[in-house]
Amino acid sequence: MSAVLLIAIPLLAAFLSILSKKIAPVLLLLVGLANIVLIFFVPSGIVVIGGFDLPYGINLFFDTYAMVSLLVVNGLFFIVTLLNVIEYKKMSSILLVALAGLNGLLLTGDLFNLFVFLEIAGIAAYLITTTNKKPLSTFNYLVMGALGSIFYLFGLMVLYGMFGTLNLMDMIHAIQTSSVAYTSLILPFFFMFIGLGVEAKLLPFNAWAKGILKHSNTLSGPMIASIYAATISFVFGRLITNLFQFEGKLLLVVTLLLIVGVVIGEAMAFASTKAREILLYSSISQACITILLFVNGIIIWAVYLVIANALSKLVLYLVVNKAAKEIKNDEVDSLRGLFAQNMLVGLAFTVAALSVMGLPLFVGFVIKLNYLTHLALGGQLLIVGLILVSSVVEGIYFVKLLFKLWFNKGEEKINVKFNISYKLVFAIITLAIVVFGVYTKPLGEFDNGIDAVQDQIEVIYNG
Amino acid sequence: MIQYAAILLMMIGLYGLLTNRNVVKIVISLNVLEIGLNIFIISIGFVYNGIAPIITSTNNSSALLFVDPLPQALVLTAIVIGVGTTALGLAIVKNIFSKYKTLEIDEMEEN
Repeated sequence: MSAVLLIAIPLLAAFLSILSKKIAPVLLLLVGLANIVLIFFVPSGIVVIGGFDLPYGINLFFDTYAMVSLLVVNGLFFIVTLLNVIEYKKMSSILLVALAGLNGLLLTGDLFNLFVFLEIAGIAAYLITTTNKKPLSTFNYLVMGALGSIFYLFGLMVLYGMFGTLNLMDMIHAIQTSSVAYTSLILPFFFMFIGLGVEAKLLPFNAWAKGILKHSNTLSGPMIASIYAATISFVFGRLITNLFQFEGKLLLVVTLLLIVGVVIGEAMAFASTKAREILLYSSISQACITILLFVNGIIIWAVYLVIANALSKLVLYLVVNKAAKEIKNDEVDSLRGLFAQNMLVGLAFTVAALSVMGLPLFVGFVIKLNYLTHLALGGQLLIVGLILVSSVVEGIYFVKLLFKLWFNKGEEKINVKFNISYKLVFAIITLAIVVFGVYTKPLGEFDNGIDAVQDQIEVIYNG
Repeated sequence: MIQYAAILLMMIGLYGLLTNRNVVKIVISLNVLEIGLNIFIISIGFVYNGIAPIITSTNNSSALLFVDPLPQALVLTAIVIGVGTTALGLAIVKNIFSKYKTLEIDEMEEN
């Protein structure tokens, strides 16, 4: 089975789904499920397309990193579509295009092709956010997304002018073997960083996120905050680890941007009174921490953090968006006592929130402990201190939120109905968060070698 | 020289994006920025005194000075994507106008 199918099947299904609106939702679910199964049958290595060998043609690269990221993204995508397929069946074709774009982003080994998939996934994302019925926010997202893509392409073209290649591995090899000083690479790398930073919600390129996630629903919220965020983090990780390899003043600037993002994200979440705003600012802070870990070479714990955040944020956004939709308000005070009638949902929300905070018994704690240890061993004590302080702030606002959602002061009880499919998803994710929080052995089976780009370059150029 | 013109066009587009409060003008600014970028990409493949990269009966030697054809192929893709984004942007602008009866961002309220 070729990795190309992971992109081609959703794209073909998207075209077919336009022909018959009735089969579109069925096609969406079938393709989503088929893609998950297909990932297990894709062999590792480079997939050459059209017979053009590397670096002349577009190629895909499938390694353990790609497999893990594809499994996470496709798995979560299937869950979100399953929960929303009836309510948002008109979005089926767009969701299929989104799936093709996201899989392409995770698989491609060509930097221009990455731009194309960024735009495909981006256009699908803008259309998904139209379900929020806030066209001005969608317009802002479109403008910011297009601007980000333009910056990325500009940086890439400067690199092409310098090295004459667009292939990721060939570009890395050309940079490593050339005598070009790193200072000459600062401009293109920084533009590409900004371009991807827009989609990754990094400060200060995330002006679109507030409008989109503040008004999100059960489809757009988890899709943008969990699935798109995870995909862009994985892509960012691949590029930071292999291509950018920040150093010198650029490393300082990027680190400062990310630290400011962590601090401001947590501060804004602390100051928010709306549930979706709290989650949105928390997401921004977590995205900055993830990229910070990739920048510091702590790849495997960054990958685990992306996965844990994607799972937790999926639960948090689904609960809050479902409740906000029924109550028509997402002020925390309006949601008081939400879990009094929904114990299982409350338990899932609590476990997800405590895992994001990094409390013991949950997978978030294991991840936080490990990446803080690695950062401390790397001498990054200032970053460790700042993350710990931000964790305290995070703890305060999440505990406040949990107290309000669990207990009310004898006021009128609110009753939000979560159907069985929601509860099943929450139960599975809660179980995963607790199991991997207690039984940590499987997490030790992978290391930073999960990303095999450098090994592949060795094989190609040095035999 | 042409690269300076492209970057100038990009700066004009960026200035338009930052200063305009009218959604149609913002879409136009985005297009100016994209055109600037497309010209920049084309300029990367430019070779002084180079000929079109097509082998013909008269130009049949690989020793001839051809311009780089790859940026031209890339620009074609970038133009198509840009048109798609613009079309979607204008569709959203239509939605905005239907909802708010104005194209000025300052006159809209979206809380």
